[in-house]
Amino acid sequence: MIRIAALKRLWRRTVWRFQSTLTFRMTLFYGALFAAVSMLSLYGTRKAIESYAESQIRREMTVGSALFDRIAAMQFHQLTQAGNVLASDFGFREAVGTNDAATIASALQSLQGRFKIDHAMFVSIDGVVAGRADGLSVDDQTQLFDTLDAGRERGIVRWRGQSHMVAAAPVRAPMLMGWVVFARNMGPTDLRQLAKLSSIDLHPQLVPLTGATRRSTQVQEVDRDGERILSWARPVPALVEAAPQRLVLEYSLTRALQGYAPILWALLGFGALGLLLAIAGAFAASRRLARPIIALEAAARKVSAGEHAQVEVETRDEIGRLARSFNRMVTAVEERERQIAHMAFHDSLTGLANRTLLREQIALALHRHGGVDFALFCLDLDNFKAVNDTLGHPTGDALLCEVATRLAETCPQGFVARLGGDEFAVIVQDGSGAADQTGRAIVQALTRPFTVNGHRIVTGGSVGIALAPQDGQDATSLLKNADLALYRAKHDGKGSHRFFENAMDAEAQARRAMEVDLHDALRNGELELHFQPLFGLSQNRVTAFEALMRWNHPVRGMVSPIDFIPLAEETGLIIPIGEWALHEACRIAMSWGDDIRVAVNVSPVQFRSSTLNSIVLQALARSGLEPQRLELEITESLFIDNVEATLASLHSLKVLGVRVALDDFGTGYSSLSYLRSFPFDKLKIDRSFIVDLLANKGATAIIRAITTLADALGIETTAEGVESSEQLDILRSEGCNQIQGYLFSRPIPAADVPALLVKLSGSRMAA
Amino acid sequence: MYYLRLAPLALTCLAAPALAGDLNLKLVDAAGRPVADAVVTVRPAGGIPPGPIRFPWATTMVQQNIAFAPHVLVVPVGTTVRFPNKDKVRHHVYSFSKPAKFEIKLFGQDETRSYTFTSTGAVALGCNIHDQMSGFIKVVDTPFAIKSDAAGSAHLAGMATGTAQVTIWHPLLKTKDNEMVVNVPIPGSGAASKTVPLTLRSGR
Repeated sequence: MIRIAALKRLWRRTVWRFQSTLTFRMTLFYGALFAAVSMLSLYGTRKAIESYAESQIRREMTVGSALFDRIAAMQFHQLTQAGNVLASDFGFREAVGTNDAATIASALQSLQGRFKIDHAMFVSIDGVVAGRADGLSVDDQTQLFDTLDAGRERGIVRWRGQSHMVAAAPVRAPMLMGWVVFARNMGPTDLRQLAKLSSIDLHPQLVPLTGATRRSTQVQEVDRDGERILSWARPVPALVEAAPQRLVLEYSLTRALQGYAPILWALLGFGALGLLLAIAGAFAASRRLARPIIALEAAARKVSAGEHAQVEVETRDEIGRLARSFNRMVTAVEERERQIAHMAFHDSLTGLANRTLLREQIALALHRHGGVDFALFCLDLDNFKAVNDTLGHPTGDALLCEVATRLAETCPQGFVARLGGDEFAVIVQDGSGAADQTGRAIVQALTRPFTVNGHRIVTGGSVGIALAPQDGQDATSLLKNADLALYRAKHDGKGSHRFFENAMDAEAQARRAMEVDLHDALRNGELELHFQPLFGLSQNRVTAFEALMRWNHPVRGMVSPIDFIPLAEETGLIIPIGEWALHEACRIAMSWGDDIRVAVNVSPVQFRSSTLNSIVLQALARSGLEPQRLELEITESLFIDNVEATLASLHSLKVLGVRVALDDFGTGYSSLSYLRSFPFDKLKIDRSFIVDLLANKGATAIIRAITTLADALGIETTAEGVESSEQLDILRSEGCNQIQGYLFSRPIPAADVPALLVKLSGSRMAA
Repeated sequence: MYYLRLAPLALTCLAAPALAGDLNLKLVDAAGRPVADAVVTVRPAGGIPPGPIRFPWATTMVQQNIAFAPHVLVVPVGTTVRFPNKDKVRHHVYSFSKPAKFEIKLFGQDETRSYTFTSTGAVALGCNIHDQMSGFIKVVDTPFAIKSDAAGSAHLAGMATGTAQVTIWHPLLKTKDNEMVVNVPIPGSGAASKTVPLTLRSGR
């Protein structure tokens, strides 16, 4: 059942497809047209034949009717002549005059035989009928006499169901004695003789005109048993005026048309043959017409499938022109496709390959048979943002073009791509392990100054290198790994190149995980402030606590700020975290004695944000802490980028009344100039100097120099990382104001602060 | 009409029976036209008076110009009628009528034959040579006989008072023997006038 249904469906679809073709429709149209024309001509011919036949029959009827009249006239004449012969015979007149019935009868009989007359009678003036009147009824006889007496002497009469032609001759002896009446039978047989005289048998009949048959004298068409018959009834001269007679002529139109049937059949046959020819012709012509269209359709199908296709131009007609236009269109579309493809795979600015094409190239190189080794270099410019910001985008774009040119020159065998912004990538075949050299060459090439739009620009670049196939089996991982190496290179100091190592990957993943966790840490309350006391040597007590961030990770446990603060700074999370720390530190400090300050570290990221001032104000306002009890610790690195802006920010903080301490003093780009520019409240001597105190004599000198300088400027000093009493002694003797370190206490939770204060006041006693 | 009926009645009552009366007949056809050559014979109430009968006209039937002249001749019974041929052609006079069947072959000009009519009745004369020739001899047995003139009038006088049997004959009259009978009362004095319509066969 299912197979039959499927076959049916297939058949229907095939039929439908054929029906929807141009060939089918044209064939159908011309076939139908020809059939209609044939039918029309057949119909017309039939009508014409019918009309012709009818007119022929009518003419024959007219002729037949005239013939009848002539023959009737002739017969009447003959009968009259015969009657006159008898009526004027003296002997017959004597017999009539003497009423000699026997003689009359014999005379009639004799003449009847001589003239071959059917009825011969003598009607006397008294109405007595003599002779062969045996066939006539009394009514007929009376009627005959009345007619003769009225002066009618010839005509057709109906006797005993048969028509007769009657002619009478008066007998005078010398008075009118009666009439000799001669009649000739006009029965069907006699009429058939008459019919033979006309070219077609009109079936002449003489019938009495009764009320029921009184019709028009026109030729009429009647239907008799399915036969179409033309009938004409016309009056004939009747003997008895009260019994009119008529001649009926008939001919079957159906029979007449049968004679023409062969013509119609032949026409039908030729029409059918013509129809077949027309269908075949239309089919062939439409096939011829449709063939180039089918070719065009196939070509269009190929083009839509993405193949190249051209059709053969065979003619100069519309279809030929269409084919030519189609070919042109295909060429144009392909050209445009090439342009679009180029745009899709190339960077519009530099003309280099883009990331998509690079990935394809990487994939291609990876799958290339033989598995040739290659190196993927990812690089970016070190100071491109500054170039864009200071010299404008047009110059920045021109610089990127220059970089592209230089990269192409540096790696003539390599495949150079621009990934976006100032990021570029190069693929170089690395058969001989020359990636290191290439990396160095690229760095050097970027280090050389550029001259762009009249500007001399010194930029540099960092390069990360991933080697295929060992550093990645696909484009994604290779690019990622090269990026990691680039990140490491930039991290380790700009203007260098680094190879990817697996550790980088693990590290990056760990960082990523931590980043995600850090996002939730603040909200989940995993962050916590610990406090490390600063012990005032002159006051001999704890003068302040430094708030230090702790992250109690639910899985990792305590996470060192060294691990997560840089991450927070990188991701910008430091802003909300720092805000929280300020609020928290101020809140907790309120629970301490009024003479104890709280110190909070401010990240450079935080410092540069425009919201720092308002956050400090809010923290003070919400906690109620006096401004001078809050000490913000900043690092020297702030001065590297923009000294002016940093100083402006510091001054605005100072206006709030808070204290500002310079953290990690002595490391990095320590410059004395900004000590002069800004009235720091405190210098925190870096722990590296403290560690060296016991081992290195010079360290003591540095401490002394710092404290002397600070004293001179009216700045407090705090030593960090003090772990032994020996260190404490030296610092105390060198005039350091405060001590911070494990010697007194490691950072402790806020809850432990009161206990610590008690303990330290005890130890102070001991000291 | 009223007066016509009353007048004869009055006359009959007033007149003396011995007196003789007249008869004035007017003969017309169906169309009212006067009918000539109709023969009127009367048998009076008292019967036909005895004695020979004489008429004031000749008893000759002439054939002249291929016709009989006169067309109708009234003769008493027993009269011998002469048949003179005044034409240059020959005639063959015949009669098939019952009162007198005869043939007279008149082959010469001015040749005269005669025939004696012994029976009363109408005798139709024809010529076997000339079919169109037709003539009639009316043989009567009463002195009261006359043929109508061109105006259709027939006048008889001197008949006995009383109902007279009037017989009218005409060759085309559509009755048996081409005659009809009417009874007319004859007054003692004066005339009985009557118009008699006749039904005639069309002239053939």
